Amino acid sequence: MAEVVNKLSRKEEEVRHLIRADDLWEPVGPTPMPEIPSLRSWDMRLLKTYKPWYAPFCDLCCFCTYGKCDLSEGRRGACGLDIATQQARFILIACLMGCSAHAGHAGHILEYLIDKYGPDKKIDLGTYIELTAPNIMTVTGLKPETLGDLKTVIEYVYKEITHLLDSTHFGQEGSYLDYESKALHASMLDHVGMEVADIAQIVGFNFPTSVADTPLVDMGWSSVDESKPVILLVGHNPATSTTVVDYLRENGLYDKVEIAGICCTALETTRYSDRAKIIGPLSRQLFYVRTGIADVIVTDEQCIRTDMPIEADNVGSRVVATLDKAMYGLDDATEWDTEEIVKQMVEDNKHFAILDTRKAAEVAVKVAMEIAPHRKKRWIEEEEARQLAQKCTNCGVCEWVCPNLINIGDGITEFAKGKPDLLRKQFNECIGCGKCEQECPLKVPIFKIMQVAASKETWKIRAGRGAVMDTEIRKVGAPITLGTIPGVLAFVGCSNYPDIDDVADMVYEFAKRKYIITLTGCAAMVAGMKKFEDGKTVYELFPPDFDAGGVVNIGSCVSNAHISGAAIKIANIFAALPLRANYEVMADYVLNRVGACGVAWGAMSQKAASIGTGFNRLGIPVVLGPHSSKYRRLFLSNNEEDDWTVMDARKREIVDSGEPSPEHMAYVAETKEKAMVMIPKLCIRKNDTPQGRSIKLNHYISLYKKYMGGGLPEDLHLFIRRDADIPLVYKKAVREYLKEIGWQPKDPVGLPTLIGTYPSKIPLEAVIH
Amino acid sequence: MAVVPFHRVNVLTGIKSARVIDDASEYASFIQKSRRPLLVLGPLLNEWSLDGKLLIDYALEIAKVANIPICATATVKGKMVELGTKPDSAYDSVEIVNHLKDPEWKGVRKEGNHDLVIFFGIRSDLEEQCLSVLKHFAFNHLKTMTLDKYHFPHANYSLPNFRKDAQWKAFLEKLISDLSKEE
Repeated sequence: MAEVVNKLSRKEEEVRHLIRADDLWEPVGPTPMPEIPSLRSWDMRLLKTYKPWYAPFCDLCCFCTYGKCDLSEGRRGACGLDIATQQARFILIACLMGCSAHAGHAGHILEYLIDKYGPDKKIDLGTYIELTAPNIMTVTGLKPETLGDLKTVIEYVYKEITHLLDSTHFGQEGSYLDYESKALHASMLDHVGMEVADIAQIVGFNFPTSVADTPLVDMGWSSVDESKPVILLVGHNPATSTTVVDYLRENGLYDKVEIAGICCTALETTRYSDRAKIIGPLSRQLFYVRTGIADVIVTDEQCIRTDMPIEADNVGSRVVATLDKAMYGLDDATEWDTEEIVKQMVEDNKHFAILDTRKAAEVAVKVAMEIAPHRKKRWIEEEEARQLAQKCTNCGVCEWVCPNLINIGDGITEFAKGKPDLLRKQFNECIGCGKCEQECPLKVPIFKIMQVAASKETWKIRAGRGAVMDTEIRKVGAPITLGTIPGVLAFVGCSNYPDIDDVADMVYEFAKRKYIITLTGCAAMVAGMKKFEDGKTVYELFPPDFDAGGVVNIGSCVSNAHISGAAIKIANIFAALPLRANYEVMADYVLNRVGACGVAWGAMSQKAASIGTGFNRLGIPVVLGPHSSKYRRLFLSNNEEDDWTVMDARKREIVDSGEPSPEHMAYVAETKEKAMVMIPKLCIRKNDTPQGRSIKLNHYISLYKKYMGGGLPEDLHLFIRRDADIPLVYKKAVREYLKEIGWQPKDPVGLPTLIGTYPSKIPLEAVIH
Repeated sequence: MAVVPFHRVNVLTGIKSARVIDDASEYASFIQKSRRPLLVLGPLLNEWSLDGKLLIDYALEIAKVANIPICATATVKGKMVELGTKPDSAYDSVEIVNHLKDPEWKGVRKEGNHDLVIFFGIRSDLEEQCLSVLKHFAFNHLKTMTLDKYHFPHANYSLPNFRKDAQWKAFLEKLISDLSKEE
């Protein structure tokens, strides 16, 4: 019979050309450079079990001049949109903001490095990382060899962002499920963009790679030597911060100027220089700026105070804005003479936008050195703070506006009476927005007073190490998929925490229980801001390996791609499933067999929304903190009442597993205790061996007993397939419970997959390895 | 004029706001008229107290005198067990709300979904978001009520922002007293 050859469309030919399809490192899978509809059927299958849960923040739509439209109680807007679809549209827009922030970052870094090294600069992540770009290769089908290849990838991301954003216009998409599918698409692309950014950074700036034991660096504002000129770097993009380091080195000033960072630029700079200091996460930004210790504040992009020049004016600091994303209305001095810029900044207290990194670095150093000797600002003394606190009448206005619902007036008035404990506690809960001080009718300088409550401790954090090594994946692939390593946890996201200690407490608990702990961004910082036994942080107490009980600082926000990448690597390196343009198969494997769970406890930004939603499309559930209900959308199942049907690929039959694993995809816990009970449950997978399952249930039960007041979890029976799944230590009690409720054993699913349970082009053979 | 919630993050952006009630008898009447009420209790009840009496004790008294089933969220179950009471169900707030928005859900006593859901002791921003879910997606089959000392615009019935704890205490005591009386 003659072979039927489907003629490729012009577009398909173009994609095959872009991804060099003829390079046969793996056969090209079904979805190279996927577009909006390409993975829609996978999304719809996910959304069938993990239904969107919408908590509208607002009853209205005010996007167009037909409105405002009231969408409450089943009403539709003038365009026909209902409240659910409006929420989904918001979520898509949020995910697009996040995705474009990372893609924009990646694009800028790439242009900068291509200018410096040319497009043919090779990608080399070291001896132990051959699978360099798991997200890029899985999504696009291109194996990037050079910086130029990364540009091809980011241009694909830009194109998709345009189409996705287009769909949010008036009179376009009308289904909340389709909007969610688009949000999942945008967020998958976010992981591609993040991977482009961090690979480029590792290659271009020689960040650590193929190494676990990165240096321990100093963190905390007391780590900054205030006797020197201080340059504060704020944001996410290391192009300027690394250039500042270079300038100092080249001019013999390396020991004469302090470089300190806030947010991800801090993490990036410590990947470049172990002399750089980390002040702390986003929540410490305004506190530190208002001390006036920073002589020059260098901003780049994302998560920077938008009133930075105003705040800087108040304390005599100078601002250099270095990226077009945030220019604050400042004069663009990029083309100016350096000495003229320095003169105006020193003498006239001016701030400038300087988009040339070399010039920005030189200006920042020169200005800092000029003005530091005249710096008058210092930390406030306790007695002075107490006198200021006595102005407070505890009227309660500050509590009205606090996003973390703190009654700051209580803390301030207690402090005025000589009792600082409550204020110290509140400082740990404070997210650093400054709204309290803005509203105070008596103009009590709350932030200034809080300086005395702030810990002057310093901590150690391990510098970010980038991608997980292939050799590590080979070692842990089997125990993760069998369940004997109970889970891989990713603590990620911003610093909108109920309490800053929460993340460190959770990391400590699960590292002791031999979970693999990965961290990025602000979460990586705050995990190190608490000391445990012997005065050590989790980075000093636990090994830095991607292995049971390891605590691994992967890096900044864009390093999140290495965590999703590690999950893909397990499917590809350990299970030998081809990844090239094969996203659906990778995601199905991760969902059913890799016991991973994200924890975005302080998620606040739109980037955090897209990072989390990107994990979701790959089949990785995420636990969020209470503030995150304000994202408006979660993905929740109806527990045992939902559809837990899977295909047993070994038997080639569809079976109702009856097991809600993983139970939810995006879940909000109100307290860290509740989160610590949910996390081990969300690491349960149908693929667990009896030994692995009993280990996972051991943690679930023991954490439940520890934090939920004893007894056994109400849903425990749903996760026990046979007697061998029951943890030895709880055997008696669990058997009694199972007998009481009439539990019946069931067969474990040999090779669980969703492929074959919904319309998909993927043949069942594709998931059998 | 609409009441502004105590925590400004919960300010209403919409048209339909809660009916503000400070008369405990009216609250008691709504509860007694409902066929299947549910109390959703949050972890702040373990921390808040009025003149030394924990709010969880008030909540348990309300449940007892009006025979209202309890859904314990977060860490409430542990405290209840310590106090010698077992909740009818234990879900986190987003999970119970997820069930409640389904009209076909059987409820915590498997007798059918609830027609009045009373929230008490969840941090206010999360509680307001949970109320928003039910306002928009369960308005046809249930009403919501709050017992916290703050105003919640997304509820059907809410207390005002009590300026003094004594007002709140008096309200709760009167509510318990009224619920104890036969209809």
